Amino acid sequence: MKRANLAPGVYLNTLDAEKFNRCRVTIRFQYPARREDATAGAVLPLVLERCCADHPDMTLLSRLLEKLYGADLTVDNTVNGANRVLTVSVTGIKDRFALQGEDLTTEYADLVFGVAFRPYLVDGQFDAEGVAIEKGKLRQQLQAEVNDKRLYCVRQARRKFFGDSPAGVERDGYLAEVDAVTCEDLMAVYRRILAESTIDVTVMGADEGKVAGLLSESLAGVERCWEDPQPATFMPRQEAAHHVENMDMVQAKLCLMFTAGQCTGAEEIAACRLAMALYGGSVTSRLFLNVREKQSLCYYCASSYTSVTGSMVVDSGVEPANAKKAEAAILHELAELCSGPITDEEMEDCRRGILSSLESVEDSLSTLEGWYYSEIARGGPVSTPAQARAALEQVTKEQVREVLRRFTLSVSYLLTPEVDCHA
Amino acid sequence: MHNTQEILRQTAAFEKTVLPSGLTVLVRPMPGYGSVHAEYATRFGSIDREFTVDGKTVKLPAGVAHFLEHKMFESEDGDAFSKYAKTGANANAFTSFDQTCYIFTATRNVDESMDVLLGMVSSPYFTAETIQKEQGIIGQEIRMYDDNVDWRMLFALCDCLYEYHPIRSDIAGTVESIAEITPEMLYACTDAFYSPANMVLAVAGDTTMAQVLAACARAGLDKPRAMPAVQRVQRPEELTPFKPGCQFTMSIAKPCIGVGFKEKPLASEDRVKGEILCDLLSEVICGGMTPLYRKLYDEGLVNPGFGGEYLAVDGCCCLLFTGESEQPELVRSLLLEEIARVRREGVDEELFTLCKNQMYGEMLETLESVTGAASSLVTSHMRGTTIAESIGTLAALTKQEVDEALQTMLLEEHSATVLILPAGDGEELEGELEQDEE
Repeated sequence: MKRANLAPGVYLNTLDAEKFNRCRVTIRFQYPARREDATAGAVLPLVLERCCADHPDMTLLSRLLEKLYGADLTVDNTVNGANRVLTVSVTGIKDRFALQGEDLTTEYADLVFGVAFRPYLVDGQFDAEGVAIEKGKLRQQLQAEVNDKRLYCVRQARRKFFGDSPAGVERDGYLAEVDAVTCEDLMAVYRRILAESTIDVTVMGADEGKVAGLLSESLAGVERCWEDPQPATFMPRQEAAHHVENMDMVQAKLCLMFTAGQCTGAEEIAACRLAMALYGGSVTSRLFLNVREKQSLCYYCASSYTSVTGSMVVDSGVEPANAKKAEAAILHELAELCSGPITDEEMEDCRRGILSSLESVEDSLSTLEGWYYSEIARGGPVSTPAQARAALEQVTKEQVREVLRRFTLSVSYLLTPEVDCHA
Repeated sequence: MHNTQEILRQTAAFEKTVLPSGLTVLVRPMPGYGSVHAEYATRFGSIDREFTVDGKTVKLPAGVAHFLEHKMFESEDGDAFSKYAKTGANANAFTSFDQTCYIFTATRNVDESMDVLLGMVSSPYFTAETIQKEQGIIGQEIRMYDDNVDWRMLFALCDCLYEYHPIRSDIAGTVESIAEITPEMLYACTDAFYSPANMVLAVAGDTTMAQVLAACARAGLDKPRAMPAVQRVQRPEELTPFKPGCQFTMSIAKPCIGVGFKEKPLASEDRVKGEILCDLLSEVICGGMTPLYRKLYDEGLVNPGFGGEYLAVDGCCCLLFTGESEQPELVRSLLLEEIARVRREGVDEELFTLCKNQMYGEMLETLESVTGAASSLVTSHMRGTTIAESIGTLAALTKQEVDEALQTMLLEEHSATVLILPAGDGEELEGELEQDEE
């Protein structure tokens, strides 16, 4: 990746995309999460995606995307520890596939900058009608959270785990606050994001010079007061808290959240990757082989970690009557890895699996871009997939144990049709 | 224009070999890619519930194809996941209505991974004990899907539309149906459907036909094999839906509505064109560019995910429109009104062209990844066509053909409606819906 610092907190990243049929231009704004801005911040991507000054009607914008052979416009908000990332991205087929010889890549770049920097405004504010409609959509989305039981359980566990910490500020805002969001609130949040964010523009297969020019033009009218992103954070250790929520459902969901009690250094990422593969992140992991296959306690049972919050989550689908046993088995496997033997065979099986995944990062437009942005957003040095593979080759069993030993259970959240089965 | 056609021809290119064993091998080398994706598929899915093999009739309970997929990972000398762990490949499998597919993606030890893939499917091993253990795991999978509102909606619609067609049964079956499975039943299925002549191997990425054929030779697939005479048994269906609709409750936040339309099954020679037509119809009726979608969206009548899809397998074709809505009856009326309007006035010319553009872009996107490319090869082969032919069929489709198709498709009298209500809002309404009195 070629990375150029164009202005304070503004970067242009270029990635080779020669082999792909499509190209992609992405703008990311990383800004500190604020509780008071969360709900307006959740409405904003919906309003931006709806239309922009160049294409002020939602249906006409949809038609433009289809005219560009089904180009994909995405505007979303994601969580990165105590920061949030507003992303505007356009992906579409390359010019050589255009049936009428159209200059598609130029149109993609114009569109992505139009959506990010030239929203459709009426009298200097976001269009009230569009804002009202998109608030309704956000309300529907928040109300429907319960429909996906697995995700709902994980989110409930996160809420208990992060509490009032900035890392816990809801990406999708708060239902009770949706109605009160005004066009002025949206504009204030939008302006703050433009001014304070670290801006990363990534170009894959499009004209880098053209994109750099559009970026300069777009920023010319923005008064910037860039702030460093929030550093990585972690939740302090606490006595494990157990929560049970009853719901009319068939399979119970159990989510356990652990804290490492410290931040994860860039030099430990490789050990963390291998630790997760061994514990619950692969089909050769202890959770998969022992808790699911041997003991049949869960249909799924997987672990993952987030380096910027030093946290680990294990989520599982369990028979309601087995929830207590499943939790004990999940904790037992962690303890076994921390203090019991790790065989060479399982260590190398897991290492091979991750190496293979790292080797295929460059075979997908979105995975490749996601890799580099994850590296950037984490802070510190940016590793290539090849450097990550080299680091992984060096990880020892003791380093894996050291990573896993840090994790202590903070929250257990059980979503279940039965009362008191966890007691 | 001419140059674009040549670029497209190269982009969709692949190599094909049919081995003496009957196995079809499709390979798409992709220069510059570091990974390889392989799919080994059989034309055996959840709808294959009754067939004759060499004159003997076999009837299956629901869920056998999916159950078999799970069991294929086991053999007398260990499970396939353990073997893949030695190669570093990322492996999986899936069962759909009409196929079962075993897959892996790898960047190194590709020959060894190919050996695992071809070996696991060629040496089935089933015992009563291992079957019993799998019944527990799959039982949990079935219960997980019981809480999935989209999944429940899909099968509730199929259950209303079809009286006999096995598409009305969940791909994984039920806890009760899989309890009936025996080793003999599974062996009957592998004898019938896992013979090389009924299978296709598609590989894309950093590979060559020579490498893939060498793997086939190591697995003995280069030698002639017995080809069992298999006949699927199908019971014809009327176009009238079996039931006008149904409703039930789940733990969800808002009501969900589904409106399904039963269509004439697609003839095998018109399968590709028929599927493109179905896809296009759902887009021109309520895709993101349509006036109906805009009205539903702006008035908050549906969630943004509201939309149409189609299902097309042997003996069955239907279009399904589903989403969340606080006013499901109104949404259904608006949908039916829009279908009637487009039927009367014809499809908007610009919309038609834009939908074709979109589908063209999607095809190119699929060919960009090793997984998409191998998967497209399998799907095209199962439909008796190629990716290039599909692009050609799309290009040749005219608005007049869509207008004509709409005269006999998406008819209200061939529709069924399913409502899923939030638990506590309407238990008293559970059961079948009444037919509209019109």
